[in-house]
Amino acid sequence: MANLALDMITTSAILFVVASGLMIILGVMKLINFAHGAFLTLGGYAAYLTTEAGLSPWLAPLLAGAVGFGVGIVVERVIVRPLYHRPLDAILATWGLGIIIGQLITIGFGREVQFAASPMTGTLDLGGIEYSAYRLTLTAVALAIGGALTALLYLTRFGLNARAVIMNETLARGLGIDSARVRLLTFGLGAGLACGAGALITPLLSVDPNMGLPWLVNSFMLVLVSGVSIPSLALASLILGSAQVAVSSYISPIIGGLTIVVLAAVLLRLYPKGLGRGT
Amino acid sequence: MTLRPLSIAAVVAALAAAPAIAADTIKIGIPVGLSGANSVVAPSVVQSSEYAAKEINDAGGILGMKVELVVADDNSGAQGAQRAFESLVYEEKVNVLISMETSAARNAGLPIVNRGRTPYIYTSFYEGRSCSPWMYVNAWVPEQQVAPIVDHFMAEYGAKTFFLVGSDYAFGRGMLEFTRSYVEANGGTVLGEEYLPMDGSDWTAIISQLKASGADALITSTAGGAPNVTLTKQLRAAGVDMPYGNLAVDEGTAKSMGADATGIYIAASYVTGIDSAENKAFLEGMTATFGDDLITPNDLSVPQYEAIYAYKAAVEAAGSTDPQAVIDALDDVSVTGPRGTITMDAQRHAPLTMYLGQVQADGSVKVIQSFENVDPGDQCPQFAG
Repeated sequence: MANLALDMITTSAILFVVASGLMIILGVMKLINFAHGAFLTLGGYAAYLTTEAGLSPWLAPLLAGAVGFGVGIVVERVIVRPLYHRPLDAILATWGLGIIIGQLITIGFGREVQFAASPMTGTLDLGGIEYSAYRLTLTAVALAIGGALTALLYLTRFGLNARAVIMNETLARGLGIDSARVRLLTFGLGAGLACGAGALITPLLSVDPNMGLPWLVNSFMLVLVSGVSIPSLALASLILGSAQVAVSSYISPIIGGLTIVVLAAVLLRLYPKGLGRGT
Repeated sequence: MTLRPLSIAAVVAALAAAPAIAADTIKIGIPVGLSGANSVVAPSVVQSSEYAAKEINDAGGILGMKVELVVADDNSGAQGAQRAFESLVYEEKVNVLISMETSAARNAGLPIVNRGRTPYIYTSFYEGRSCSPWMYVNAWVPEQQVAPIVDHFMAEYGAKTFFLVGSDYAFGRGMLEFTRSYVEANGGTVLGEEYLPMDGSDWTAIISQLKASGADALITSTAGGAPNVTLTKQLRAAGVDMPYGNLAVDEGTAKSMGADATGIYIAASYVTGIDSAENKAFLEGMTATFGDDLITPNDLSVPQYEAIYAYKAAVEAAGSTDPQAVIDALDDVSVTGPRGTITMDAQRHAPLTMYLGQVQADGSVKVIQSFENVDPGDQCPQFAG
């Protein structure tokens, strides 16, 4: 039972880490970034290159985050910004960008599975229960990311500007906030979070050109259910992640794989605007 | 047979180049998954085919006829296989089909083979019991692969209870269903049998069930590549260290998985470490031919190499490429290759020597035990005797 609870908590934490970058971009830019899966994959390959270069695997998420931030800045400037007033085209553009990143990775590294070294192996003893040390670490990392994002949004000038843009962009611009800059930094931040998350999940996954794809769908569902707020994303991750683990454990792992999508549809029926904005 | 301009040109070129006069060519069709799930392994299969064709042509061909390979991409699936088989059988009019393919591709191709009355040698291990009057198989089936691992776990570790984990598709389920019946027939118990979809990557719940079950040993049969890697990584991260037999990992993958693969048991009809003159000559020849581009020969590419020689032997025994005569002869001819001497005389399948290996800390596979001429059992009783 305790093991089941740990499975639920750690699975939710992983979902939160993976979805946070998508949510930040959606919140500020009103844009579903369909290149999110490709950014996750990019992070996985950044982790692979980091450990190939002989650097500590602990550095991988940080370096991947930096790479993601850089790529995100360029992508926002070159691809997303010219399409800002054509939201549907912008979504299509990120979709295409995802395909291009995937193909470039395939050309560069081939289709085969790559192996990144893990920063830690083995289990921790939690009062009689042996549990994966890395999953527990990921949970701590998820809490740290949640805390850092909250601090960024509520304690910094950038956060204040970002919240103003989230609430009413026209009004924010009228008050002299450089909303283009806020969007640029937000896209960089979202892409950086996605790449960092990709590097964080590689010790549990294989690095291959399609590794981000299943996570894109789950992140998308989570963000739709949660709406734009960090506590509600955490809540959505906890509800959907726990449901997935419970269904996988008690019914069948095959149905468990569908749980997030189905439950998200039901939740959206009950809370059409997402958990963050109530009924 | 009508010669098209291209093949006339090829014959003229052959006449000019080689003093041995090629009156005709033998076309070998190779439908293989150059794209899709098999794309990682397919290039090694093409390499070993090219090497066999080169060896045969250098030695004078088959009955004086040169061998020509026609490779077609089947996209590792049913639709692609239909196109590939139709094109090879009806447009290229190949004399024989020899290939490693997914089960879905093989099942889609078989009706075309039957209609076109073209001999077909299938060179991939698979879940068993696929039968056609036009098909022979020279790779292993569950009866041959599962037994060495289960026997070893029962004898060496005293394992009584097993937990089975696989990917949800024909091969994964077929292998584990056989494993379950084999374990139960030998006095063991299966505590759990769990599957994840082929593109699934979160094994959390299954691993927790495995740990809670307290099983003595674990046997997995996932799709190759990503699912196999994610499962192994997550097992190791969760501290699973019971005897672990993996029915889907090959030597190359085990090597690149690093520390996570250490200790895994595999069973195969070919490992590069087989100590025989034929295997040494084969490996040296492959290295000399392909140099740095060589993809490590494996349990899929070596049967492909041997199957081309089996076809050669059958044509020579029959004295012609007549399809029915070749099919009748394939039952009797033996080929001595890297895997030893193999005859496909067991209901269109082949008794094989199986090697039980364990992945070592340096990534190499150490052969623990070999099992001589393991019988494939009842695969296609209609072709018995």
